[in-house]
Amino acid sequence: MLHEFSYLAPRERKDLLQLLKKHSGQARLLAGGTDLLCDIRLGTDKPAYLIDVKHIPEMQGITWSERDGLAIGATVTCIEIMRHPVIAKKFPLLAHAAGHIGSAQLRNRATIGGNLCTASPCADLGCSSLALGARVELASVRGTRVIPMKEFFTGVKATQLKDDEVVQRVLYPAEAAGAAWGMEKLKRIKGHDLAVVSVAIARTATWLRVGIGSCAPTPVVTADLPPQATAAAVVAAAFKVVNPIDDVRASRDFRLFMVEEFIRKLLPALA
Amino acid sequence: MFENIPHEELKVVGKGIERIDTVEKLTGAALYTGDWVVPGMLHAKVKRSPHAKARIKRIDTSKAEKLPGVHAVLTGKELDYRVGLYLVDKHILAKDVVRHFGEAVAAVAAETPAIAQQAVDLIQVDYEVMEPVLEPKSAAKKGAPLVHPDLGTYEYVKEVFTPIPGTNIANHTKLRKGDVEKGFKEADVIVEREYTNPNVQHVPMETHVAIGQWLLGDRISIITSAQSPFTVRNLFAHSFKIPHCNIRVYIPSVGGGFGGKAGIHLEPLCCVLSRQAGGRPVKIQATREEEFSLLPCRSGLVYHIKTGVKKNGKIVAQQMTMYWDAGAYADYAVNVTRASGYSAAGPYEIPNAWVDAYTVYTNKPFGTAYRGFGHVEFSWGLERHMDLCARTLGMDPLKFRLANTLKPGSVTLTGEVITEHTGNVGRCLEEVAKAIGYGKLTPAEKAREKKTGMKIGKAVVALHKAPAMPPFTGTVVILKMNEDGTVTANLSLTEIGAGTYTSIVQIIAEALGFPVEKVRLPIENDTDRDPYDWQTVASKGLLLSGNAAILAAHDLLGKAYEVAAQVLRANPCDLDHDDEKVFLRHHPAKCVTFKAMAVGYAYPDGNAIGGPLVGVGRYVAQGLSNLDKETGQGNPALDWTYGAHGLVVEAHPRTGEYNIIKVASAFDVGKVINVKSVRGQIIGGMLQGLGTAMCEGYRYAPDGRLLNPNFTDNKIPTSLDLPEEIDCIAVETPQIDGPFGARGVGEHSMIAIGAALGNALQNAVGADLTHLPIRQEDVWRALPKGGKGPEGKIP
Repeated sequence: MLHEFSYLAPRERKDLLQLLKKHSGQARLLAGGTDLLCDIRLGTDKPAYLIDVKHIPEMQGITWSERDGLAIGATVTCIEIMRHPVIAKKFPLLAHAAGHIGSAQLRNRATIGGNLCTASPCADLGCSSLALGARVELASVRGTRVIPMKEFFTGVKATQLKDDEVVQRVLYPAEAAGAAWGMEKLKRIKGHDLAVVSVAIARTATWLRVGIGSCAPTPVVTADLPPQATAAAVVAAAFKVVNPIDDVRASRDFRLFMVEEFIRKLLPALA
Repeated sequence: MFENIPHEELKVVGKGIERIDTVEKLTGAALYTGDWVVPGMLHAKVKRSPHAKARIKRIDTSKAEKLPGVHAVLTGKELDYRVGLYLVDKHILAKDVVRHFGEAVAAVAAETPAIAQQAVDLIQVDYEVMEPVLEPKSAAKKGAPLVHPDLGTYEYVKEVFTPIPGTNIANHTKLRKGDVEKGFKEADVIVEREYTNPNVQHVPMETHVAIGQWLLGDRISIITSAQSPFTVRNLFAHSFKIPHCNIRVYIPSVGGGFGGKAGIHLEPLCCVLSRQAGGRPVKIQATREEEFSLLPCRSGLVYHIKTGVKKNGKIVAQQMTMYWDAGAYADYAVNVTRASGYSAAGPYEIPNAWVDAYTVYTNKPFGTAYRGFGHVEFSWGLERHMDLCARTLGMDPLKFRLANTLKPGSVTLTGEVITEHTGNVGRCLEEVAKAIGYGKLTPAEKAREKKTGMKIGKAVVALHKAPAMPPFTGTVVILKMNEDGTVTANLSLTEIGAGTYTSIVQIIAEALGFPVEKVRLPIENDTDRDPYDWQTVASKGLLLSGNAAILAAHDLLGKAYEVAAQVLRANPCDLDHDDEKVFLRHHPAKCVTFKAMAVGYAYPDGNAIGGPLVGVGRYVAQGLSNLDKETGQGNPALDWTYGAHGLVVEAHPRTGEYNIIKVASAFDVGKVINVKSVRGQIIGGMLQGLGTAMCEGYRYAPDGRLLNPNFTDNKIPTSLDLPEEIDCIAVETPQIDGPFGARGVGEHSMIAIGAALGNALQNAVGADLTHLPIRQEDVWRALPKGGKGPEGKIP
């Protein structure tokens, strides 16, 4: 670790928001660090301040109510999501997605907030949360706002997050609880790998949505489709939102093929 | 040596004893070079080129030099030394031009790694970027831009290699056997195709690390993670014109080498930095990214094969052309070219053969030794080609192979006559075929196909390899008896993970008639303590050092018998011994203990005879010769280890997704010395082979930048990528001049896995592939009806 920075670890939300305002543009937020520390080591990110958000109570824990739905604190780790009984029962797609990020060691550190804020097109919690209609709660000294996750991602590794803002919680509507689901992730080895293509489907009595990873500058999601939509209609809706590239991981052609393949495989088998 | 002792008479050899370094390595007690701290030690970092080919116009180091804590800054300008083993073509730091992405152009030694990195960042280099040469076939053509315009001035081993100055060809290995033109005329069918492999990284768990100190009076001290202490010393002495006795090379535990730590690498750089820093020791430890392009990789290969076959399945002629993509420096790649050139036809008899193997310079990271030494790469093409020939003839590929395997009386490409002691490749093929149920699907496999919608394919392939080494390669083992009658052994193989040390201990114990607990073989090496060995490479260690160990044991026992004969007033021929004492065979109670003789036998009055007991065993490869440079004829092979892989794969006929269900591997190891080590080598090599087969390989941008110098995009297999089932089979045709009949098997376990996978996939779903690695997308593209993109319309 060659780049030097100041490490700040506020204990209270108001202190965090003040620090963010004070160091606006010069600070990066540290949760699990599984992406950020790699960027600092590579020299692609050189923040003057690292603000550790793991001690902020408002950013911790998982809550559920029939009225407000599911809320996951931004510093909740993959392993916590995988093991949470309410998520296992009502949002199994999320547990599955979290369980397929990186390796066991990484899943013990990596957080949902970090996975979303890195805003990689391949974020496993991106495509799956999009399919579930998630929203993101952002906080700053200016107040709190909630936006659809669909609008949160704005480009490759870019989000709506302002310099003084932090993702506080990720919110899932109660109506998505118990949605039938399926997810496939194309990898290059059977061991840990990022998604070369990922497809996550959620279906309730009123809608069906497909979240897709690694096929556009951001994770993307189809428009709401009728739950009985045919495979051809779902594929057509998916192809409206994807625009993959050729790179070292796969070609555009193969990515498109696999999007269709995964949709056709998952649809009849949604659980 | 002792190849005909029946198994049941062996006490230690053949048993699966635990590796002697297990406890230290599992508990973390084993010390590696990275753990080493030398008083006053500085840390080095290098400045690397972002370009594949460029002229260095100017390097400004002034800011770096002024940074507090910096003790030495060097560029290529100050270093007029070339370093190398076979073709001395590389400077310590790039001089005037850079020839590959990631090449070091400057280096800094400072109080801490952080200061060194900061100083490196302050170094400014002005480059004139040039068009790189990246493709080996076009680079080999006359008129191609030259990577080394001065090739004609380089030192090289003239008896063995043939550089062509004025071209990018660093070496042209030729082999001519019989009359190929006549052979092709006799052939009923001619089958011709080209196969390719990319550069591949070794990925040792421990990256390259070295500590060097240039002391007063040009005395050099080196601690390093190298495979070969004496080669580091020899090449260092040669480059700097320093007496060998002034240089000490110490090698603690090594975290894997796979060929990437053969020869010499970072050692000269840290030593010249030390000299510049007034003699303070300097440590340099490569990052993982630096492993990919500062340090060497495996050469790429374009392999063109033209085969003439008779309708009865006999090969009558084969023309083989290899373009080895050596990258920017070819010091080691020239020998990969030589070794693969003379065995390019695999374990098959080719009556009329013609090989042209070219080592070609390109502007890529440079190639070196890699487990298998060229055989992994050419086996991919060759064993795919064997299936293509069989398919063209309408013959079963196993039958086709068995019809052409080397058998007693067969003549190899270089003119060596195979005997019944050479090994049995046919038996290896038959064993793996049996193990995978070759040629049919079991009811369980048919049911699996029905359930999964995937198709199951099976394939068997064969392989061979002899150690690639100078014909005069020699080694020494010294046994020193300790005061209590135990024995300490010294030799200069390094234990880089192959488990050879444990086998050597077993051989010593067996030859002495001692339990293994009485034999100690220290894991670390020290050129000031240990006797000479050339290198730890080529799967030659077990045979050469094993023989030396037997000879050392006999020498030690002979010395003990001499003393005992005097003490017991007996003729040595009437003596025998157990692990405690030498005794009279006819009157076993009359004895003298080893303990009493260990440091000189003393009579009760104090008068002594004999002196401390030491046994020396020297062994040199016998009967080998350099190959004729025009015809490739001669005897290069210490021994041939034959083997075969059988592989069962299931693949999806629409998506190309595949899973490896089973791999069975059989090797004719002569004699198993340690059953666990053999099994470990077979499984480890198989998984490393699967990495080459499934996912590894360098990918470049058109400007020669390496696009995947990391584990994000250069995937290596994990434990989850193991086949569902693994069979390890040892065939034992004793090698007469092997220790207890044994041969090496360190490299062979990975050689032909790629082609086994390719052939099985073709049999499963018809994907006909000619390039490694085989990613799912590659299978998909090669499917008879696949690779055409999605069915759905793209708006």
